[in-house]
Amino acid sequence: METKEANAMSAPTLLQGVKVLTLEQVHALPWGTAFLADMGAQVIRIESVAHMQDRKAGPFPNGKPGVEWWNEGGNLAYFGTRNKQSLCLDVTHPAGKEIFLKLVKRCDIVTDNFRPGTMRRFGFDHESLAQVNPHIITLSSTAFGHSGAWSKAGSRARTVDAVCGMSALTGYEGGPSLRASNNYMDHSTGNNVAYALLLALYRRNKIGKGVRIDLSMQETGVSCIAPAILEAQRGITRPRLGCGHLWKSPHNVYSCAGSDRWIAIAVSSDAEWTALKQVMGDPSWAQDTRFDAARSRWQHRHELDKHLATWTATQDDKRLMALLQGRGICAGAVLTATDLVNDPHLKQRGFLQEYNRAGSPSVGPRTYAGRPFRVPGVPMAIRHAAGMGEHNNVVLQEVAGLSPVEIGELAEQSVIFSRPRAEEKAP
Amino acid sequence: MDGILSELKVLELAHAPSGAFCAKLLADQGADTVKVEAPGCGDPARQEPPFIGGEPHPDRSTTFLALNTNKRGVTLDMEQAAGRDLFLQLASAADVIIESYPPGHLARLGLGYEALKAKNLGAILLSISYFGQHGPYANYKGDDLIAQATGGYLYAVTGSADRPPMGTALQQMEQTAGRNGVIAIMAALLHRDQTGEGSHIDLSVMEAAISTPSGLIHPYSFTGRNPRRGSGDRNVMDGMHLPTFDGEVTLTTAGTGGRPMEVWSEFLGEPRLLDPKFATRLSRQENWEELRDLVAPKLAQWNNLDLMRETMARGLVIGLVQSPRQVLDSPHLAERGFFVELEHPETGALKYPGPGFFFDGVNPMQSTRGAPRLGEHNAEIYCGRLGLSNEELGRLRAAHVV
Repeated sequence: METKEANAMSAPTLLQGVKVLTLEQVHALPWGTAFLADMGAQVIRIESVAHMQDRKAGPFPNGKPGVEWWNEGGNLAYFGTRNKQSLCLDVTHPAGKEIFLKLVKRCDIVTDNFRPGTMRRFGFDHESLAQVNPHIITLSSTAFGHSGAWSKAGSRARTVDAVCGMSALTGYEGGPSLRASNNYMDHSTGNNVAYALLLALYRRNKIGKGVRIDLSMQETGVSCIAPAILEAQRGITRPRLGCGHLWKSPHNVYSCAGSDRWIAIAVSSDAEWTALKQVMGDPSWAQDTRFDAARSRWQHRHELDKHLATWTATQDDKRLMALLQGRGICAGAVLTATDLVNDPHLKQRGFLQEYNRAGSPSVGPRTYAGRPFRVPGVPMAIRHAAGMGEHNNVVLQEVAGLSPVEIGELAEQSVIFSRPRAEEKAP
Repeated sequence: MDGILSELKVLELAHAPSGAFCAKLLADQGADTVKVEAPGCGDPARQEPPFIGGEPHPDRSTTFLALNTNKRGVTLDMEQAAGRDLFLQLASAADVIIESYPPGHLARLGLGYEALKAKNLGAILLSISYFGQHGPYANYKGDDLIAQATGGYLYAVTGSADRPPMGTALQQMEQTAGRNGVIAIMAALLHRDQTGEGSHIDLSVMEAAISTPSGLIHPYSFTGRNPRRGSGDRNVMDGMHLPTFDGEVTLTTAGTGGRPMEVWSEFLGEPRLLDPKFATRLSRQENWEELRDLVAPKLAQWNNLDLMRETMARGLVIGLVQSPRQVLDSPHLAERGFFVELEHPETGALKYPGPGFFFDGVNPMQSTRGAPRLGEHNAEIYCGRLGLSNEELGRLRAAHVV
C-alpha cells in the first residue's frame, strides 16, 4: 500500500503512461530522470541491496541517521527517488534478470549510469533490449561516453569541472586555477539527460522509432565553456578574474557589515556608475576622472574596488541591495542558505517547498529548493520520495504481471528486498 | 541526421545569455529559430569581448557566436508600431517565443502573453528574467554574478574559505537557466499536445542558481548548518589542483577500494604517503602542506595524457585540469566526433562543442549555420515568410523599423 502524503497532490499527466526503468546511482542521472518523474512518467528506479551508498548519502536530521535511515536522506526526496518508484531487485540473479527483461518489454525508456560495458555484461545493452522491445529508448550517462580512448575512465562531478576546461578558467584574479564547483556538472548533465530523453520521446512520437543515446558528462561540461573553445582556436587566452569581468567595473564582491557578509555589484553603464556615485554621496575619490569612462574604470578597477569596499564595509548587505536596486544599480547580496530559506521574495513566489514524507515521521517537514520554472497547470513539486523497495509489489504485479505467490517466492530467494541486509551498517 | 525539432518554430527576443542559450539548444536540434534583435546595436552579447581577430566587431564576439549557433537573425524595432505589427505576425506562426525583457516590458508594448494568445492560442511564451516575473525583486537588475550571489552559489560553492566569495566562469547561471528552459519548453509542448493550450512560463535565473548545487537548501534544512565555500581547500587527495609536467590535475580517492593512501603510494612510488599522519581525511587536511610536498613532485613527472591512461588502467579516478586548448586538442573528443564545424563569413570555420549526447552514434547537432550577422535574414524572413514585397521592406528599412 502506498501511503498518502500529508501534502499529496496528483501527478501532472504530461508523461502519463510513459514508463522509465532506471539503473542509476549517485547524482547526474537521478537528477535527470527526476524531471520526467515530476512530469508524471512512471519512473521505476531499480535498486541493489548490495549498493546502498545513495541511501546512506543523507543529509539526515542533525546529521544523525535514524532507525530507518535508508528512507530518510534528504537527497532522496530532492532528486534520488523523487516522484519515482523503487524496485529493489537483484538483476544479477537469473530470476532478477528475467524480470528486468519482462519490464523492458512494457517500458519506453531504460537509463543507466554504469561504466561502459556493464550493461552489456548484464545482457542489457541497447541491442539486446531492442530485441525485447523494438521501440525502446535507452540512455547511458557516463563520464566520457561509450567510445573513444577515455571511455573506461571514471569521474566525479568535480573532475568533470576539471577535464572539461571550466576549472582552468576559474580562480581569483591573478591566482591559480580552482575547482569550479562541487556538483555543478551533475546538474548540468542531469538537465541534459532530461532534455535528451524528452527529445527522444518527441522524436519517437514523430517517427515511431526508439534510439540509443550515449550521453557524456565531459562533453556536457565542454558545452558549458563554448566561448573559450572558440577563443582557443585563435590563440586567445581568457584570464581568470574571480568575480571580475572582462569589461565591466565595478564588478565584484565587496565586504559588508557583519561576519562574512558581502554584496555583489555589477555596473554595466556610465549611467549606473553615476547613480552609484550619487548613492555614495559623491565622495571625492569617485570624482577622479579616471573613473569616468567604462574602459578607464576597468583599467583602474583595483583602486576603484578598494574605495568602494570602504563604503560598503559598514552597511547591511540586504538593505544595501534594496537601496542600490531602488536606484537602478545592479547589485545582489551574497546570500547564505539561511538567508534563502527566509527570503521574502522566494516566499512570495512560493519557490521553496516544504515536504514531509509520511513514512518517515522522525524526519518531519523539511525545506527543499523548487524548480526554477513554472508552467501553469504543470506542478513540478516533490509528491513522494520512494522508500527502498516500496514499489516492489505494485511494479511486479502491474508492470511485470507477476502473482503475489511469485512475488513471495522472489523475496524468499533474495531476489527482491524492501530493507537493507541485516549486516548492512548505518552510515 | 535531420534535426529532431525541425518542425518547431522558435522566435527569440533575448537580450540576456540565458534566453539566447536556451534558444540555441533548440536551434542546435533543428528548431527553425529566428533571433529578433534591435536595429543598430542588436543583442548586447555582440559587444562582449573577446573577439575573433582581436578588434571589437559585432559579428565576432566569441560569446555571441557561441550562444547563437544555427539561428537566423532579423532586426526589428519593437518601439515602433510597424515593428510590433511585424513581431505579432512572426509570433502568430511560432510555437515557442523566448524573451528576456524586464518583467512586464512586453505587456507594456502590447505584446504580452494575452496579446500573443489572442493571435496564437497554442503559443508557448518563455519569459526568462533574473528574479522571475513577480515578487519583490522582480524589477531588480541582474547579471550572472548577481545570480550567483543571490542564488547562494557564490557564498557556498566555489571559492576558498579564507577568501571572499568567488564564482564560476563563463556565465554558468545563465546557462543553467537556459538548460532548465528547454526542459520547461518540452513540458509545455507536451501540455499543448494534450490540451491544445499554450503556456506562459516564468523562469528565474536566481532560482536556477539555487536549485543547481544540491548542497544548499535541504542540507541546511536537515542540519541547520550553512554550507560554505572552501571544501576543496587543503584537500590534496580530493580537491586541490596540482601541477603535472604539462598541465594540472586534481586527484580523487575514488576507485581505491577505501585504501586511498596505499593505492596512491604505490602508483606514485612514494612510500612516505603510508605515514599514519596521512591515514584519514582529517589528518590529511591537518598535514596538507607536507602531503602536498610529497605528492606534487611525483605528479610533476607525469604528462597529462600518460597520467590519464595509466590511472584509468588501474580504475583510479582523476581530473585533468585541462585548458580550453587541451580540451580542443583532446584525442578522445576527436575520436568521438564531439566538435561540430560551422562556417561563418566573419570568422571562417570554427569548431563548436556539440550537445553532449549522441543519438544512435550520431552527433545530432545541426551544422546549418554559425551565428547570424545583424539583420542577416531580414529579406529571407520578412519577404519569404511574411510575404512582404521588396518595396515594403525598403520602406521599413527607411523608417528604421528593420
